[in-house]
Amino acid sequence: MAWGAPIYIYLWLAGMAGGAYFAAFLAERFAGEANRQLLRLATYLGIPLAVIGVILLVVDLGNPLRFWHLFARFDVISPMSMGTWILLLWVGIAVVMAIFWWVENRLTEQTARSLRRTTGVLAWVNLVLAVLLIAYTGVLLAVSNQPLWAGTLLLPCLFVASAISTGVAILIITAVTGRAWAIPNRTVGRLAEADAIVILIELAVLIGYAIWLGASAMAGTGEALRLLTTGVLAAPFWVGVVLLALLVPFGLEVFNWGKEIEKKAVWRAVVASSACVILGGLILRAVIVIGGQI
Amino acid sequence: MPKARLIDTSKCMACRGCQVACKQWNELPAVETKQEGTYENPPELSGSTWIRVEFRERPGEWLFRAHTCMHCTDASCEKVCPTGAISHQGEAVIIDQKWCIGCGYCVQACPFNVPHKDEITGTARKCRFCIDRITNGQKPACATTCPSGAIQFSERADLIAAAREKVQTLVADGHPNANLYGVDEMGGLHTMYILLDKPSAVGLPEAPQLATSTVLAQWLSGVITAGVVAVIPFWLLFRRKKRLEAERESKVGGTR
Repeated sequence: MAWGAPIYIYLWLAGMAGGAYFAAFLAERFAGEANRQLLRLATYLGIPLAVIGVILLVVDLGNPLRFWHLFARFDVISPMSMGTWILLLWVGIAVVMAIFWWVENRLTEQTARSLRRTTGVLAWVNLVLAVLLIAYTGVLLAVSNQPLWAGTLLLPCLFVASAISTGVAILIITAVTGRAWAIPNRTVGRLAEADAIVILIELAVLIGYAIWLGASAMAGTGEALRLLTTGVLAAPFWVGVVLLALLVPFGLEVFNWGKEIEKKAVWRAVVASSACVILGGLILRAVIVIGGQI
Repeated sequence: MPKARLIDTSKCMACRGCQVACKQWNELPAVETKQEGTYENPPELSGSTWIRVEFRERPGEWLFRAHTCMHCTDASCEKVCPTGAISHQGEAVIIDQKWCIGCGYCVQACPFNVPHKDEITGTARKCRFCIDRITNGQKPACATTCPSGAIQFSERADLIAAAREKVQTLVADGHPNANLYGVDEMGGLHTMYILLDKPSAVGLPEAPQLATSTVLAQWLSGVITAGVVAVIPFWLLFRRKKRLEAERESKVGGTR
């Protein structure tokens, strides 16, 4: 098996980093409170997540010290080449944004204002890069000759939905456990509700993906599907993906829809559903990455 | 005129001379194996085994096929390689061992399961079409050593013409499914096979696909999901209008 644990952990971490940024940006932008606490939280979380993922990726190379060969080429046809540049730019801009936020309070009002304008532009650029980043985690696998990965056009959809769901989940967990962030409870509640809808999208995509695999003309897709539904990966698929990543958190989030998060039971349910989403996201990546190579 | 390798599986007697010649010419180490109830050995193609005879037993007959690089015209491995380490040199698809980082993408992209990561070198390795021999007017080591003439190396057009005649003979001789594999697949293969039965009977894909043929569609699939579909829940729950309405409601509630 050429791709093992470092690869699926990396796809999970990079997806979560991009998904959290995507969710935080949209939540604040639609609410008319651009680039406030939530986006900062997502950026500060995303940088270490992406960097840990990249370290895993480099260590997994046959020749880790040659990793810089990736930066000697820009190839739009090779998803790995595109992913390299997307990740580099996204992390680089995130670091610049973090530095700007850190220094803006120590500057004169005029300089701070122009710095904030620059950060505003960078935030938009990184939204586009975050979309490309989470799409790339699926495209990387889909552009191959493994039936489970390449047999449909829905693997990028599935990974995008999961990336956003796990991204929202890590925002929620950090917001409710790290009170210093001062994310309003109302925002956390809304995030949990948004996650329920994202999970619904993910569930629909997963069903479509399974049907498409079963009907695909590509040789080996039927066997690949059976590997998940009744084969050696059936337990992690049904328990880890269907229950843990989708049905259980969806149920918890719908049950607590609109309820006050101050209540201990609601707080516990929101944390539990987010933890399920994050763990389930890892199991989804593992099942797909391993399943594609059996 | 492009050259090619033609493997006539009807002539192969599974002596595995090609395996030995390949290892010798390319100075590839032997691997320690154990008996696993098959005549095949070593158990799989690997970073240090670049050609390997597969054995398939059917009632009354054996199907043998030497599994090795097809040297595709449109090569998936070359297309997905993120560093440009894989390239065509004439007909041959070569992995530059000094530039390969060992990411394993070519392993996932090849429709014929040919490149493999080598534990010792840390790079992806596979048949080099004996580039050092063929550019000096010689045949690849496997074709040179093959005692039954099953592996031939010559002008591609001549091989195709001869192979088509041979297929007709085989069909007339009781092999109705005999066929020539590799004329058009992947833009034309530079390793072609005369097969006694349909390709899937010897583990070859009936319709191999270029891994990158769907690259644009796959990107669109992901980007549309994120950029359009996944925006909706956040728009529904966070848009300012909704927030203002909620605030107004709570104010009205407060005055009561």
